[in-house]
Amino acid sequence: MAWQSIDRVTPADDDSDEPLLSEAVKEKIRGFFVRYPTKRAALLPALHIVQETYGQISHRAMRDIADLLEIPPSHVLDTVSFYSHFWRHPRGQKVVVSCRGLSCELMGAREVNEAIASHLGIREHETTPDGQYSFVTEECLGACEHGPCVLINEKLHKCVKAADVPRLLADPDNDKVDVPRSDLYDGLPLAKKDVLPDND
Amino acid sequence: MCELWFNVGLSSEASLALMPTIIIDNREVECREGISVLQAALEAGIDVPHYCYHPGLSVVASCRLCLMEMKVSHPTTHEMEWAPKLIPSCQTTVRDSMEVRFDSPAVKENQKRVMEYYLVNHPLDCPVCDQAGECYLQDYSQRFGEPNSRVVDAKHKNPKKDIGSRTLLYQDRCVMCTRCVRFTEEVAGTQELCIVNRGDRAEIDVFPGRGLENNLQGNVVDICPVGSLLDKDFLFEQRVWFLKGVDSICPGCSTGCAIRADVNDGRLWRLKPRYNPGVNDWWMCDEGRFGWKYVHDEMRITRPRVRRGTAIEQPSWESIPTIVQQRFADMVAKYGPASVAVQLSPEMSCEEAWLLARFIRGMAAEATLTLGDVHSVGEPQLFPVSGVAGGETFVVQPEKHPNRRGVEMILDGLGGAMASREDVWSKIGKGEIKAFWLVGGYPRADWAKKELSAATEKLELFVIQDMFPSKVTETAHVVLPFCAWVEREGTFVNQAGLVQAFKRALPPPEGARIDGQYLFTIAGYEGLYTGERVRAMMVSQIPGLGQIHIPPPQPAHQH
Amino acid sequence: MTRFEPVLLKNVGVEGARTLRVYESRSGYSSARKVLGTMTPTDVIDEVKKSKLRGRGGAGFPTGIKWSFLPADRDVTYLCVNFDEAEPGTFNNRYLVENDPHMLLEGILIAGYATGSTTAYIYIRAEFCEPFHVLQKALDEAYAASFFGNDIFGSGYSLECYIHRGAGAYVCGEETGLIESLEGKRGWPRIKPPFPAIEGAFGKPTVVNNVETLACLPHIIERGAEWFCSVGTQESTGPKLYTLSGPVNRPGCYEAPLGLTVRELIEGDDFGQGMIGHKKIKGVIPGGLSVGILTADELDCQLDFEDVRRYGLLGLGTAGVIVINEDADMRAVLANVARFYAMESCGQCTQCREGTGWIDKIAKRLAAGAGRGVDLDLMIELTRHMGVLPGMSICGLPDGAAYPIRTIIEKFRDELEDLIRRQEPGDAEAAMKQINPAVYALPMTEQRV
Repeated sequence: MAWQSIDRVTPADDDSDEPLLSEAVKEKIRGFFVRYPTKRAALLPALHIVQETYGQISHRAMRDIADLLEIPPSHVLDTVSFYSHFWRHPRGQKVVVSCRGLSCELMGAREVNEAIASHLGIREHETTPDGQYSFVTEECLGACEHGPCVLINEKLHKCVKAADVPRLLADPDNDKVDVPRSDLYDGLPLAKKDVLPDND
Repeated sequence: MCELWFNVGLSSEASLALMPTIIIDNREVECREGISVLQAALEAGIDVPHYCYHPGLSVVASCRLCLMEMKVSHPTTHEMEWAPKLIPSCQTTVRDSMEVRFDSPAVKENQKRVMEYYLVNHPLDCPVCDQAGECYLQDYSQRFGEPNSRVVDAKHKNPKKDIGSRTLLYQDRCVMCTRCVRFTEEVAGTQELCIVNRGDRAEIDVFPGRGLENNLQGNVVDICPVGSLLDKDFLFEQRVWFLKGVDSICPGCSTGCAIRADVNDGRLWRLKPRYNPGVNDWWMCDEGRFGWKYVHDEMRITRPRVRRGTAIEQPSWESIPTIVQQRFADMVAKYGPASVAVQLSPEMSCEEAWLLARFIRGMAAEATLTLGDVHSVGEPQLFPVSGVAGGETFVVQPEKHPNRRGVEMILDGLGGAMASREDVWSKIGKGEIKAFWLVGGYPRADWAKKELSAATEKLELFVIQDMFPSKVTETAHVVLPFCAWVEREGTFVNQAGLVQAFKRALPPPEGARIDGQYLFTIAGYEGLYTGERVRAMMVSQIPGLGQIHIPPPQPAHQH
Repeated sequence: MTRFEPVLLKNVGVEGARTLRVYESRSGYSSARKVLGTMTPTDVIDEVKKSKLRGRGGAGFPTGIKWSFLPADRDVTYLCVNFDEAEPGTFNNRYLVENDPHMLLEGILIAGYATGSTTAYIYIRAEFCEPFHVLQKALDEAYAASFFGNDIFGSGYSLECYIHRGAGAYVCGEETGLIESLEGKRGWPRIKPPFPAIEGAFGKPTVVNNVETLACLPHIIERGAEWFCSVGTQESTGPKLYTLSGPVNRPGCYEAPLGLTVRELIEGDDFGQGMIGHKKIKGVIPGGLSVGILTADELDCQLDFEDVRRYGLLGLGTAGVIVINEDADMRAVLANVARFYAMESCGQCTQCREGTGWIDKIAKRLAAGAGRGVDLDLMIELTRHMGVLPGMSICGLPDGAAYPIRTIIEKFRDELEDLIRRQEPGDAEAAMKQINPAVYALPMTEQRV
């Protein structure tokens, strides 16, 4: 049987050595240092900010974060890969997170998930060709009284029925929250030169 | 979940005892203070299965194999009873009169289930796995496990990874003991290895582009209890049950790590470190671990060679002592004893150096002795690399010889005419030294520089004892083989002054005789050379060489 | 039963309740002022001990006693607020904070003062986006009013408070998992001892408290420990936020004294108002997924820290009640439960890592119609060999896996066996091959029920 084999020593061809994080992003991350006694504790905030800015956390980003926080890049990889919120490959403009908890499933979440997958034409962790939507399911989102729940970026949609899905996904404002926002964990707008090509 | 059934009810006077006595399986065991119950049990010869625990690494208590039952004080009646929950023996420190047991149905059931759990996703690779024969999954399954598999579902398949220039990671065999990660974190300090993902999809990995490349990385293969981390050098080379392990000392530098040479079929296959607290603990560096290939180099000098003018002969070993003794006698008669010199190499064992010095001084009491080329490469490599100054636990010495101190002790003990190496070579150049015995034995083929061969042309009697032919050996009148350390036996003295013995693991190559044997005969002694015979004679002159440092044995079931 | 006057939820539905001004106008921060102005930390700890307040995060450990574990001679203390709330069926913390964030902040001030904390970290899960914004804005307001920072209320006590966003891991709701995640590492729970009170976040004494637990503190101070003891039962004092979800007419978060029965919660007019379409109840998970399941005959179970255990369940947990009606296929429920724990297991301990994964595979196969009777026994046996209660794991996640799996199989055995019996042999094998194409010639139809 042909087992899968991976060369970990050689980085991928397109994984360039160039630094990725802009000075503005680094400055925002540094702003978190004062909160914690160690720089390392700013890792989770740093990863959130980098993901919100660049759409994913690439190996280049991990190296830069490691340098900034003075920890080895292997530790950054360790942390990033543990949590399901972080994407190591590019994701769409809007991430559709559908709840697969027991309460939502009892209220019909399976049909909702199938509707989303078929409407977008993608499977979990995939992105639509136009880069607009990515789709994942997550464990209980903590809004069980309104199941089935669907989180689009920051906006939580409640009591979603399979029939609602096309309308929901067509709504351009489906990720707008209606409470005053704090920009503490927000990403920074990318300068034109920072915009990455499609693959990393 | 905080049911406080722990650690109450033992008297405070008891904790003052320096050698606490604990009771394991109804047996009283006296143990060292401050160690874990697991370590105490292992030192008492009890086979407690364990993966994640290693005495040189931090305790994580994650494998859950070493769980034991312990007597604790009941929260209300305050009587000592067996606690209803199992407790990891690796995270419990011994306290006097503590009572624990491993021989109970609950403990055995846990061991069985944990072994079964390990096999849920483990591939049936034994026929192709390097670790077979020294695998703790095999051994524990047999001793503590469940013979029948109940898994009918698909196993998670993990990839094989190339994580470094010398190491492979077959992820599907990994049992997630995290020893390797903790090693690169705590002992090497290089922190290349990490864990990725979570749950039963967790894997060991490196950051792409920053592979496992440090001078201690070979140790992760040793501490891996299964065949997950593999040595590329040893991959598919030998089945371990064919290998015979011989205690030896690494000749790579003056640290003098205790090692084990694994041989079979007249060949050396690999070196493994031996436990040697205070010197190398459980570790050895890659330079020593992989630096033995020269042993089987076909270019090695084997048969003795004698040159008369331009005629070159290969006399038998039986005739060599007479030839050498005669030639030296002739030189002394012709030019006097002060014309003789010998350069001892820091690659020689104490016994060989003593025998040679004794022979030369026996021929010419005023012969000059000197200590030869000592190569120092770079700075001491301190591990852990990211540690605080002064906190190093492992040092790779820049002096790349095993026995400079030993040879110096021999020279000090013998006294008499000494000179520096530079002085001796300048005298050779001026023609004041006519008969010279040069000992090389350096695995670095480039040590014998062209300048040396120019100077040696002036000698009337030039005996060289070396490993590889070179321009210098071409000018010699007598060429004798310097055999590899695995073929010889004797003692080395490391940089801290510890005298450590190494044993013969291999016969020398065809046609060669080991240095100890021919020097023994040349020096006029009869019979077989053994390290002990020579040490018995040496010790009266140099008592310091008589105290051999023997590391305490590791308990049989420790790994 | 007279309707219980909301205490924790007293500001819900009030216009502007999220703002400091409205909160203060409804006696908000008066308890914090009283504590910081007139009481010593020991006074506060004693009062909380007297109230017999037990942690609302799942373990039910007495809060006052937890605080008294802190060593006397300490310089830095951390207060970690556990807002990770990932237990399926639970959303009371979210509900409370998104409606009334200042109640939590006031509780943090009181707890911080009592424990001598220098910094408080609110660990909020990543998926709570809007609640994060609400809470951060409230925190900004509180800081602007000098209710956090240096010399709060002129008392000399200083407390910094920061929100630390998580990233999607249930195990980070475990106290040492939370601490590890706070420190920027993977959320692998630590071995204990040392306990967090001695050596917690960044090596310093640390207290981890649940959001609801902290929200009780202003009320204990305001109304007194005796009042708190008068609500609820003898050993389970105080009001509790119950969350009800599933196919009931009025799912939601309800406040009632501890000791409310499951039946009352589901059918009461003040609460669930019965099942949608008058369907029959098949089972109820009363404490968040991890505690186990009750059958329709066991609905008189009182939701407090003691009574639930008489039914073979782990405990009250988070009092997150999930109702399952007669239409549900218990194999799908079992598969959902098994998958949750397999996905969320951190991977440290062998029994949890491999055990939850194996149970997940078996449950998936069972739900696909390729199960065997012996699989049920196998899953039950596996659940007996995991968990911190028997000492086999480092944290309580596998206990949370063991109880629902075991109780579902034990209490719904007949139904599961019946479904297995109804599997067509050919279909079962086909389903098996689809899930597991690498395996051939399985003893699939042997050992059937």
